[in-house]
Amino acid sequence: MKMGKKITGTLVIPVITLIAAWIICSSQGVKLFETQLNLLTFIRTVANVSLVTFALAINLNSGRFDFSLGSVALLSSVISSKIVLALDWGPVAMLLLSLCFGVIFGLISGAVYVSVKLPPIIVSLAVALLYEGLSFTLTGGHGVSFANSARLLGFASIPNFLIIIVLALAFMIIVFDRTKFGYEYKALLSGQKVAVSTGIREVPNALLCYAIAGGLMGIQGFISATTNGTIQMSLNFGSISPMFMAFLPMFIGGFIGRYSNDKLGYLLGAVTSAFISLLYVRLNVSSSVQQITSALLLVGFLIYLNNEGKLKGLFVRGGGKG
Amino acid sequence: MKNGMKLTALLMALVMTLCACGTKGNESTASAAPGTSTEAPGKSTEAPATTAAEKTGPDDSKNVKIGVLVSDVTSAEALAFRAYYEEYIQKQYNVTFMYSDELADAAAEASAIDNFIANNCKAIISFASADRPAQIETCESNGVYYAVATGTLTDEQYETYKNYKYYVGAIGPDLMTEYMAGYDMAKYYLDQGFTKFGMFGGATPYYTEMHIYRAAGMLVAMCEAGKGTYLGASDMGGMIGAIYGAGCQLTPAKIGSVELCGYVGGYDFDDAWFGKLAAVANDPNVEVLLAVGSGQTAFAGFKQASQKLGDIDCYTADSVKLMESGTLNYLAGKFSASIGPIFMAVLSAVQGHPIRNAEGNAFAIGQGYWVATSAEEAKEYYAVDSSKTEPAYTRNMLDKLYNASYSDFEAFVKAYSFEEIKGLAK
Repeated sequence: MKMGKKITGTLVIPVITLIAAWIICSSQGVKLFETQLNLLTFIRTVANVSLVTFALAINLNSGRFDFSLGSVALLSSVISSKIVLALDWGPVAMLLLSLCFGVIFGLISGAVYVSVKLPPIIVSLAVALLYEGLSFTLTGGHGVSFANSARLLGFASIPNFLIIIVLALAFMIIVFDRTKFGYEYKALLSGQKVAVSTGIREVPNALLCYAIAGGLMGIQGFISATTNGTIQMSLNFGSISPMFMAFLPMFIGGFIGRYSNDKLGYLLGAVTSAFISLLYVRLNVSSSVQQITSALLLVGFLIYLNNEGKLKGLFVRGGGKG
Repeated sequence: MKNGMKLTALLMALVMTLCACGTKGNESTASAAPGTSTEAPGKSTEAPATTAAEKTGPDDSKNVKIGVLVSDVTSAEALAFRAYYEEYIQKQYNVTFMYSDELADAAAEASAIDNFIANNCKAIISFASADRPAQIETCESNGVYYAVATGTLTDEQYETYKNYKYYVGAIGPDLMTEYMAGYDMAKYYLDQGFTKFGMFGGATPYYTEMHIYRAAGMLVAMCEAGKGTYLGASDMGGMIGAIYGAGCQLTPAKIGSVELCGYVGGYDFDDAWFGKLAAVANDPNVEVLLAVGSGQTAFAGFKQASQKLGDIDCYTADSVKLMESGTLNYLAGKFSASIGPIFMAVLSAVQGHPIRNAEGNAFAIGQGYWVATSAEEAKEYYAVDSSKTEPAYTRNMLDKLYNASYSDFEAFVKAYSFEEIKGLAK
């Protein structure tokens, strides 16, 4: 594939989205990026969405639908915040604790899956309920508030979010594209029976996938908590909703992955989502309009992906006639 | 595999779209308290209120099972109410509270009521409002007493059900109380000379009356102070009509010399929602942030040190800390023991002494908030509100309501301010 085509395929969706958002904002007399806060909102969304997208894609690409992601983020951030607030530690300690607890809870989730051998969708729902219940019990249902902790709230800055984004991307590329684990993961994706028959052990691979996804969600929980100043409790699968924000960037990432690295694609998918999210913020779009628009964008993109060949054919024929 | 993933995503998108099109039916939609009806007496099948001479204390010899319907199990308010029933009332009286799960819709409410009836509950206290008529009808047909806590029926509903034998009544903030809660909070800051406001409208976009009335109160106070109008309205009726006319979607506007600089509604809890809240809080013009509810959650991470924050919620350890640090400056909060009188009315009815109003109908009594404007007040309120041994309404106080006359019962409930309750306790 030529370099020009690679670059075009990689950047076309985020660039078109940026231009569209810019034009829509300008038509309303609003600048998309007017203040530093707008940039902070954008970068924070990229960080949040990219972490969830990485975490979701790791297992979903292997056919494991993991509904427990949000609850892992919730429980790891609850425990780490309780420790940090009790010991008066700073945000870096909370970040590291959230990461560690995320890995542990992700690993537990994976261990349950490989032990009980039930479909992952069912296991992850059970784990989500368990983690939600634990979070609720640990906080007495009241959640955690950081409103009086300037140190923790002070973490939310553009450089800090950029560091997390870059480190997460580098980690994903190195682990999944440059290690034995990554090669085995890809082999299992291509064909599990064949891969297992060549000596690849799928159980440790799946466990590590869950642990990595959990770690990423631990960081996402930390970002969410220190940005918003509170951790709200969820019960009865209320923690599932964060994963919905990762579907559009994941499919965009899959599209971009044809032209470059799929992890970079997920990040650019998150960038695309962040442009759309910032557009909602700048135009103060109501939540109902926002949800309908997001759903239509996702459906529209999937319709395009499913009919890409036909559409190309139409353009080629149209071009020929012209 | 990929097709399966796409199909799943399509289903998710459909669910998201349907959710966006719906409204939050389980939010409180209390209507104006019909208060004491002037209907002709005699419609009730129960005997009217008894005299003081006939009064007896609650019968603790037999356990009474009471079902509690809840549409919210995680908010600070819901937790406080539950703690009062389970950690105080249940220890004081021979009663057992059986709580439902979080009820998202009318079908879940119906299922929970069936479960309560199957478990021999003699009464149901409802904090869930997705389909109150269905709740009342089911209880009536099954001979189970039913009462509404922290809310009231709409005028129409009250007229329909007031003479039902098993409908005990309702106690809670009526819509005028909600309106005044918003009005008083905005006026508190307007009187101090503040003119630039940011507002969080909570469930206003979901057509939740409680929040609409609070928002209307705030806007009318701004209209009066700024000598202007908002959406062409400046009084209570006009403002509520204007908000509904705008599809419950409020927007920033100049209101005479006062300005609503920013507005956010809904409970999306996504990046865009937090971005909108951050934008309002970071507007250098905004002097005061007003919230119809959950203001401490919505603005906690974004509020600037120079800004004031007013909220209508409940008293928690966190809210006291926020008032101590100056993050929160005004709190109109429900108190957990406010659900004590409705419990006693239910117990009294179950044990054969229903409390009916002067016309022999079920009662509907308004009840308001405790307002704190300083950390000291908030601490004092919270100390009483969170006490498991000496809450605002103790057994001694509630026992006086057993088999009480309607006028005594009404007077007790209406004396809801902190000072009045302290007086009642003496």
